[in-house]
Amino acid sequence: MVREGLYYTREHEWAKVEGALVRVGVTDYAQKKLGDVVYVELPDVGKRIRQVAEPKTSDMEIGTLESIKAVSVVYSPLSGVVKEVNSSLADKPELVNSSPYDDGWICVLEPSSLEAELEKLMDSKNYIEYIKKIK
Amino acid sequence: MVHQYIPNVSKIRKQMMDEVGIKDIEELFADVPQEIKLDRELRLPPPMSEPEVRRHLSSILSKNKPFTRMPTFLGGGVWPHHVPSHVRSVIHRSEFLTSYTPYQAEVSQGVLQALFEFQSMICELVGLDVANASMYDWATALGEAALMCARVTGRRKFIVPEIISRDRLSVLQNYTSGAHLRIVKIEPEKDTGQLNLKKLRREVDEDTAGVYIENPSYLGFLETRVDEIAEIAHKVGARFVVGVNPISLGIIKAPGDYGADIVVGEGQPLGNPVNFGGPALGIFACRDDEKLIRQLPGRLVGMTTTRNGETWGYTMVLQTREQHIRRERATSNICSNEALCAVAAAIYLASLGPTGFRDLAETCAANAKYAMDGLNRIDGLEAPVFDSPHFNEFTLRCERPGLSIEKFNRELLKHGIHGGKTLKKEFPELGETSLLCVTEIHTKEDIDLLLEAASRIVK
Repeated sequence: MVREGLYYTREHEWAKVEGALVRVGVTDYAQKKLGDVVYVELPDVGKRIRQVAEPKTSDMEIGTLESIKAVSVVYSPLSGVVKEVNSSLADKPELVNSSPYDDGWICVLEPSSLEAELEKLMDSKNYIEYIKKIK
Repeated sequence: MVHQYIPNVSKIRKQMMDEVGIKDIEELFADVPQEIKLDRELRLPPPMSEPEVRRHLSSILSKNKPFTRMPTFLGGGVWPHHVPSHVRSVIHRSEFLTSYTPYQAEVSQGVLQALFEFQSMICELVGLDVANASMYDWATALGEAALMCARVTGRRKFIVPEIISRDRLSVLQNYTSGAHLRIVKIEPEKDTGQLNLKKLRREVDEDTAGVYIENPSYLGFLETRVDEIAEIAHKVGARFVVGVNPISLGIIKAPGDYGADIVVGEGQPLGNPVNFGGPALGIFACRDDEKLIRQLPGRLVGMTTTRNGETWGYTMVLQTREQHIRRERATSNICSNEALCAVAAAIYLASLGPTGFRDLAETCAANAKYAMDGLNRIDGLEAPVFDSPHFNEFTLRCERPGLSIEKFNRELLKHGIHGGKTLKKEFPELGETSLLCVTEIHTKEDIDLLLEAASRIVK
């Protein structure tokens, strides 16, 4: 399931523009691949981050997702500053599985160069094509 | 020639040489310069039969002197204690002796339960809530503790006392250099050897990840102002780490009860023998704080109920911290532990029980005090060098002009006694000083022998 109107990374994060801010999470495809998420490591509010690019570095990370037998890094779809984190994931990490695009969001960013960076992300149509190819 | 242990008969050897295209084995060593080759046969005795080998080796081994024939006062990180024979007998069961990492909980309940018991007893001993299933030794546990403090706080400075084992300090620096930690040493108070709190207050800051003390210290004295040290560390948001000889916790307050966030230590004295300085057993425990537990290194065994809720079961838990899952992002690169030594420690602790353990610690402290006071009464010797309470180790300084501590120890050997560890290389500022260790295995006769010999030597 891919939601329209969001922007997507090749690492399976989504970004949703909400006025001057951007909400970030992982895609339905990502949560299915991970399996049951048991712990979410969230970024510190105020952390300055860069949009994910190669080679990946730690200043592009906005958290980690732990499932029972795997750990994966969540990369930031955009550069900016972390304004808010989804603290309900501390007690209910399973929200990432049950509601990846809504209640399972990871954090909210204040983007630093929104327009230029959105162009580097995929829209829902391109993302659907992208996951078809990697399947 | 067919060799007894190398079954390549000449036919096979010829085949192998034909395959690689040589005529003589010597051709394989053509690159080794002629002048450094040994141009003759090794001068070795002829082959021996098994009984001959046994006889030969036992004649060499007979030069060893067992503890009962030669009291030794060596400690300094590995301490001699009596290991009850049932400890050895139980760990020699093949289920313990040959077991591998218990990834497969359904076939490993025995070793998992033994490790769980070990963790539980370590927690009780150090006064904290979570202990891992062991590390290599005290030094590596300390290195991991420093890294853990840095991960939890996001800071880079780790403060240690200047009086610390040089070996341990070196391992700590090795462990932390890659993560760019800065190890800062705090001078001791001159008279007591204890941490200089004024200097500690000046050194702690917003970049301090952890403050570390040892209690008892490497030189045997106790840190008495532990509450203040904990407060100084916590005030700047640093973690308080304490290193221990666990036997001392039979009579000394548990570090968890005076503010320690992490406790490390050497578990060897808990039922593990002294052979060439080991095998060692690293202790690692921390407070029940999710931030700390998530960053804990090493294996953790947990207890749970089975699916139908009828019985207890054990399994490794929180494995996502570890490198077989988290790979290069793991909390630590340690993938081994000292499981068999930990099982020995669990058996040892369980056999002594709380009362026996207290008796043991009291006996060690009392024996050490008897030796220390006796040595101090001898004109020309000072014991201890530091004016502080001590546990089972203490410093001895030789103050007779012309009598070095090495000479003093050599003379003791002539009296059939192995003296303390010379500290001149590690702590030259202390002068002609050694570190002596006394435990429950030293009888009054052993100690009196030491006192008598010492007074004769310095006379």
